[in-house]
Amino acid sequence: MAPLKSLEQEYPILDSNFQSFCASHDIFSVEDLLLHDLYVLAAFAEQESSSERLKQGIAQVLSIIDGQHQPWLNGIELLEDAQRNKHVLSTGCEGIDLLLHGGLRVGQLTELVGPSSSGKTQVCLLAASNVAKKHIGSVVYLDTGNSFSPQRVTQFICQHSDPAIDQAKHRTLQKVMNNISCKSVFDIFTMFDVLHQLEFNLRSQMQGGDCKVQLLIVDSVSSMVTPILGGSGSQGIHSWHALMISAGYLLKKLAHEHNIAVLDPTLRIRLKASDLKNGFRNKKGKNQKKGRKIV
Amino acid sequence: MEAKGWISGDESAKEMLGRVLSRARPFLLLPPLHRVPLRPRNVLEIVGPSPSAKTHLLIQAALTCVLPVDWNGVHYGGFDGFAIFIDLDCRFDIFRFSHLLKLRLASGSVSEIDREQNNNTIKRSSIAYDEELYTLCMRRFSYVRCYDSFEFLATLKTLHYRIQKEKAYGNCVHMLLIDSIGAFHWIDRASTCLPLRGSNRKSHSVQTVLETVVQEIRKLLLLHPMLAIATKATLFGNRAMNEAKWNLRKPDTSYSQIGGITALQLPYREYMPSAWQTFVTHRILLRPSDDHLAVSDDQNHSVYFSEWLLPSLSFLDKFIVKEAGVFLVA
Repeated sequence: MAPLKSLEQEYPILDSNFQSFCASHDIFSVEDLLLHDLYVLAAFAEQESSSERLKQGIAQVLSIIDGQHQPWLNGIELLEDAQRNKHVLSTGCEGIDLLLHGGLRVGQLTELVGPSSSGKTQVCLLAASNVAKKHIGSVVYLDTGNSFSPQRVTQFICQHSDPAIDQAKHRTLQKVMNNISCKSVFDIFTMFDVLHQLEFNLRSQMQGGDCKVQLLIVDSVSSMVTPILGGSGSQGIHSWHALMISAGYLLKKLAHEHNIAVLDPTLRIRLKASDLKNGFRNKKGKNQKKGRKIV
Repeated sequence: MEAKGWISGDESAKEMLGRVLSRARPFLLLPPLHRVPLRPRNVLEIVGPSPSAKTHLLIQAALTCVLPVDWNGVHYGGFDGFAIFIDLDCRFDIFRFSHLLKLRLASGSVSEIDREQNNNTIKRSSIAYDEELYTLCMRRFSYVRCYDSFEFLATLKTLHYRIQKEKAYGNCVHMLLIDSIGAFHWIDRASTCLPLRGSNRKSHSVQTVLETVVQEIRKLLLLHPMLAIATKATLFGNRAMNEAKWNLRKPDTSYSQIGGITALQLPYREYMPSAWQTFVTHRILLRPSDDHLAVSDDQNHSVYFSEWLLPSLSFLDKFIVKEAGVFLVA
């Protein structure tokens, strides 16, 4: 959050007098203002000599704060946005589409849960190839365990096409593969970095065009958590919890604001009673969740 | 003169009661929230592990809030006001809300919809409802998302002006719904930073954030009488229950009789600071049971328990969530 000094250029009413008044109440940034009672501050301002200007400054800061949160929407606007932008992406597998009532929902985070070797990565690769081929949207694949296989994706794409025309097939294959961008991330901080970069790119990108990201696959967030999990005692668990929840919120924000479907295969391990006693429900605890879980 | 006026008073008791009771009529919400009358300026906390239909109860309360009392001769029994929904969980499904509203409009009362649904399957597209009323109700539902506690604080600070703007148009806000209040608890807890320069400067910790949140909501409730409902997800499940299950040596009679849990032995671990705990005036606990209710051949609904913790009532309600909403099970 911006320190008040830096806002002076854009809002001249927040001059040095206002800043020193705020400093006398231990307020140096907008964040501090959020934690303070503004009515009490206004009452203090009454007692100052330049009370009118100070109160105008407070009103200005309030309008800055008003721009800090997401916009208010009423039910009709929400519905329109959902109908226009939040369509469904087919995964390419009919059975899974049936379970998901149509496919992966844009704007939501879908979690694919299961023990190891249950086909989670295969589903992700299939979904990636399907989206890249049919929906004219690009796919971003964040790979944490070197599980991305271009050969497998090629197999999925070439499955249904006509084997006769080789040239055209090669060109479509090129185009489709160009739509999938794969990045290897091996720790959670790199993942945050990549996601923030993606968010920045999406915000500054223009609307429309073929290269709009439609699907984001993170394979998988849970595998990046284990190194932190071993941290000392309670500290480890708390920071793990916070990191997972932050990652979840970042993914949810990306999904909703930029109309992307996010897919996350998760390893769910069978827990022993001793683990439960220590307060472990599952490795992910309370974090990125959406009601659609497939085991 | 002045003293005489002081003695004669401003209004009679009848006038005062008439004024206060007309403004503070109790909200009669749908089950399972119907056991205790709720008034404006009450703060209800719906607690439960995930999933336990908490958000569904919020949606149901929001629907009751935006519906009118009567419209074109049909009695809906709503509160005819605005509902403000602050989504901290970011999982709200507008299609579900819209579908529930359409079902309510088509059939008037909730029990009628259930009867109709049981008799014949109503397809989503063929529900007949009043388009004008539907648009009116949808417009009365205000929604905002918050991705971190700063955005939440910013929303609360500017909410007063938003409500005032609506009042200027003649619309009053009857409900403030928050889903869910403990969403940023862990993030704020882990990001408690070292004390900054100037020892009096408030650092961004769970305590200060929640104290500010409570302060802002308290001010809002003072200025605009409305009912505040917040959901809270419990973490690590039902620890006391789990421990009782594994401790085979001790006779666990106190836990096997579910209704016998007193307010002192909370069946979940409370993690919110005391500022929030003392702010809450009513509390209801939801949890899924192991039973399933087979409604029809292809639908198997899981049964949930609801228990009022504050005020502490000694019985449980059982309910299921069907397409048309929440229904009590005998």
